[in-house]
Amino acid sequence: MATRVDVPLLNRQPDEIIAFRRDGEVRVSQFVAEAIALSRQLPEHQYVINLHADRYQYLLGFCAAIIAGQCTLMPPNRQPHTLEQLAERYADLHIIGGSSDKDQQLRSEFEADIPLIAANQLCAIAFTSGSTGTPTAILKYWQTLRTGSLGNAKLLLADRSVRTNLLATVPPQHMWGLETSILLPLFANVAISHLTPFYPQDIVDALANLAEPRVLVSSPVHLQALLKSGLNAVSVDRIFTATAPLSKELASDLESGFATEVVDIFGCSEAGILARRSTSSEELWTLSHLFELIVRDDGIQIEAEHLTEVVLMPDIIELVDREHFRWIGRHQDMINIAGKRGSLADLNHRLREIPGVVDGVIFTPHADQSRLAALVVAPDLNTSDILRQLKEQIEPVFLPRPIFRVSELPRQETGKLATEAVNDLFELTKELALKAK
Amino acid sequence: MQSQTEQEAELAGLIIETLNLEDVNVSDIQPEEALFGDGLGLDSIDALELALAITQKYSVQLKADDENMQQAFGTLRSLNEFIEKNTT
Repeated sequence: MATRVDVPLLNRQPDEIIAFRRDGEVRVSQFVAEAIALSRQLPEHQYVINLHADRYQYLLGFCAAIIAGQCTLMPPNRQPHTLEQLAERYADLHIIGGSSDKDQQLRSEFEADIPLIAANQLCAIAFTSGSTGTPTAILKYWQTLRTGSLGNAKLLLADRSVRTNLLATVPPQHMWGLETSILLPLFANVAISHLTPFYPQDIVDALANLAEPRVLVSSPVHLQALLKSGLNAVSVDRIFTATAPLSKELASDLESGFATEVVDIFGCSEAGILARRSTSSEELWTLSHLFELIVRDDGIQIEAEHLTEVVLMPDIIELVDREHFRWIGRHQDMINIAGKRGSLADLNHRLREIPGVVDGVIFTPHADQSRLAALVVAPDLNTSDILRQLKEQIEPVFLPRPIFRVSELPRQETGKLATEAVNDLFELTKELALKAK
Repeated sequence: MQSQTEQEAELAGLIIETLNLEDVNVSDIQPEEALFGDGLGLDSIDALELALAITQKYSVQLKADDENMQQAFGTLRSLNEFIEKNTT
């Protein structure tokens, strides 16, 4: 029989600051006491969905669930269809942080010991869209999250001896947000802001209100908007970005505008944060010491002791040496819009399943790679009908736009659709639509 | 069906142009219909792109923690009112 191995919930000193919430700083001792108090109040269920938008409340809820032995589900989005699917699959489920929940008022006068968590406890489940229509579950055990986070602390903050105050523009419900803004403060000298600023003005205000030294965790979309807004920069020690390719130009502009260092992070939901790159000056990615990349016939395998399943590299890369690789591109069917990976085959399958749709294709137009578009043969539907049907099943970022109705698709005799023919028809239809206005 | 004012039509044009809504006409955007979620099905990335276009055209910075903001982005009409109020 395997012996149970326990590891602590966090590796921090009791008097260190772990978060800044609305009413001020929170020290580790107080946080631990509050998390324990909350864990005793949680209704008894196996699974929990944490919808807290306030990052400190999310952190409390996430840790309270772990202490109570509950597993946090991380739905890929908040679409009703997605939540219904999850509720069917994980029947013993409750939700915290919904719009009706008030922030927890927790009594925490006592000094609590840091809880011990079983290394093999299932703590979180992330999901990828997958091609079959059913999201694939990615199981995160405590040991996986803990070891991964200790590795991330080394990869991201090893050179920092003082406390880092961290502001994130990405939600904690996303793997990138979870690994940085929820897990990092448990294992590194990091204090998080409770805010999730969105518009450039919000980001600048939140940064200005956060004590130095500060780092910003974000995505190219938010950073691009921040730069273009022309707002006066606030000093930031370091900006971490992930979820989508960051151009060298954007990295350089941010570095000069904010007198900072921009560090791009490469990762995937299955393995977490894998590698880093200072995009303005480096071409190659540096792999985290936790991982090893192994070339196989069917791709490149991501190997690490703390991973419980075989993970293949989601993108096409070229190994340069043991620690470095060059990113080449994505596999043909895979798309990445606003940091969400999806399968075109899956999206097309959903489009063609809509009653009344005779034929249709969702694709990436040559003219604008950041959005999808669709050509649909559906004599009895209008585009808003099609959009409404798609919205029930597809994440908003993957919704094709525009959707044009056509009389038929330029299929070859084999039934195949050539990318060029689809793009030509799209451009032609677009021109006609603009003329008709 | 309600008609758009001249300013609303101009703003509708900006929305269509910014968000690649070539399949939508200016007059399709109902002044009182939700822009996000149900209506046009816009998402948070659109909100950022639109905010940027509005900042560039009208010199107004949008803020999410502004209580009026949630409401401002609600419909074409409320967004137009927000811009008018903050530019004069």
